[in-house]
Amino acid sequence: MLAGLLFLLPALPLRALAQELPLVAALSRTDIEVTTGFTGASLVVFGSTEQPIGPGGDEVIVVARGPTRPIVVRRKVSVAGVIWVNGPSARFSGVPGYYVVSGTRPAWQILPEEERLRNALGLDALPLASTGARSPNFRAALLDLERKSGLWLEDSEPVEIAGSRLFHVRLPLPASVPTGDYRVEVLLVRSRRIVARQELEFRVDRVGMADRVATVAQNQPLVYGVVCILFAALAGWLGSVLFRRG
Amino acid sequence: MQVYLPIAEMSVDAFLLMGIGFGVGWLSGLFGVGGGFLLTPLLILVGIPSPVAVASGANQTLGASVSGLIAQWRRGNVDARMGTVLLAGGFVGSVAGVQLFALLRRVGQVDLAVSLFYVVVLGTVGGLMVVESVKAILRRRTATRRKLHEHFWAHGLPLKMRFRKSRLYISVIPPFLIGAGIGLLSAVMGVGGGFMLVPAMIYLLGMPTSVVIGTSLFQVVFVAANVTLLAAVQLGTVDVLLTLLLLAGGVAGAQFGAQMGTRLRGEETRALLGLLVLGVALSLLWGLLRPPENLFSTGPAL
Repeated sequence: MLAGLLFLLPALPLRALAQELPLVAALSRTDIEVTTGFTGASLVVFGSTEQPIGPGGDEVIVVARGPTRPIVVRRKVSVAGVIWVNGPSARFSGVPGYYVVSGTRPAWQILPEEERLRNALGLDALPLASTGARSPNFRAALLDLERKSGLWLEDSEPVEIAGSRLFHVRLPLPASVPTGDYRVEVLLVRSRRIVARQELEFRVDRVGMADRVATVAQNQPLVYGVVCILFAALAGWLGSVLFRRG
Repeated sequence: MQVYLPIAEMSVDAFLLMGIGFGVGWLSGLFGVGGGFLLTPLLILVGIPSPVAVASGANQTLGASVSGLIAQWRRGNVDARMGTVLLAGGFVGSVAGVQLFALLRRVGQVDLAVSLFYVVVLGTVGGLMVVESVKAILRRRTATRRKLHEHFWAHGLPLKMRFRKSRLYISVIPPFLIGAGIGLLSAVMGVGGGFMLVPAMIYLLGMPTSVVIGTSLFQVVFVAANVTLLAAVQLGTVDVLLTLLLLAGGVAGAQFGAQMGTRLRGEETRALLGLLVLGVALSLLWGLLRPPENLFSTGPAL
């Protein structure tokens, strides 16, 4: 009896809150730590909706974007029909280092085309401005290479629905995931319109030795260079002492 | 055991790197060379980006050569004077080499340049070594005696200096230029250059074999240190963890190789080394000639 009351009391405001918000979402972790033993990680985006989701009801789209950086795409050309050399190139600015989009159904099925393009939902909808070579092949090659690296994914696994109001999806982060701030957008789609959205954030950071090495290398390159020389010399000398009679 | 390399920003199997270090160290102990010419291509093959492979390879070469230098120095086999002249050239060459590397990286031709340098340099050196050692093996039967010391054009140059340990009185210009050339190659290829320096000292400068190894190690250690420093400051591509993993396997391998090397005869060893060098050159040449699987590649915009 008492236990039942205690259970009810805190549940009341939560229920009220849930009814005001059509969509509530959260991340399983907000800090991804890249240590020297890092081999990749994953996090889960989960949440609940006010209205039932799934066939006939609302739909959920989750899109995650990593920090952007400029990328050059080069095409190899054959010189005199003999050797292969990097030839024309296109420079893309603001390429996300990580991009994953997933939905209860693919975005192109549940949103009108212009809405999907405006929100950049889907690899083909990414706004990638380029300078240099004009051919659309460069953009296609960029998409292809990023997809192969596992850093760009489109509908690789759908957003799972549990009990018609709960949803979750796993975001895989491979070992080569860039460090920085990540943005996750969760969109609620009802009758081909985005009716609610929530933004979440997480960070990928180097920690421990990996972080110290990278920080020193970047901020004090001269010190880092000297340390590299001393470490290598010491390791070489030490090794020869250890293995001399081996 | 996977290890995250902080500068290469990738995860690699630590035992694979130590194994590569061991194998290359074993061969380098066997043949008495630094082994950088094998190491850099192998690192690129396992997916380390070329700039990181070259810079960390130079750093590894430094570590691998230090113990050899100490040993040779104790035995008095280092001509410090000649070493200093070579080194002066080496510094100039490696500074120029790192600038060249930075330029190549900006225009996106690093991979091509590294491969081309390897094919040309290793192809030439390997070919010469095989030819020379086969001749020597044949000569052993006919036993004609070779002149110890030859005089040629280099002896007419100015700025002569006496190199007591090497028993030479020659101009400093040829050793300076040789040092500069090796320094340049060291910066672009991530090698110490011992396999080129040793024949150059014997055949071009006429140095006695006893001081050649020690003096070349002297030059290799300091040029590799310079390349490491410049690459760390200017390119930011030295991965200290990668270097240490390679050294961990390398120093052990080198000792085993050195023990085995004492049982091989000089000419046979050189012929085998020549074949190995030629093999690496040919495999890299094939990489350039073969139609690529993917015409496109991406890289960070600099």
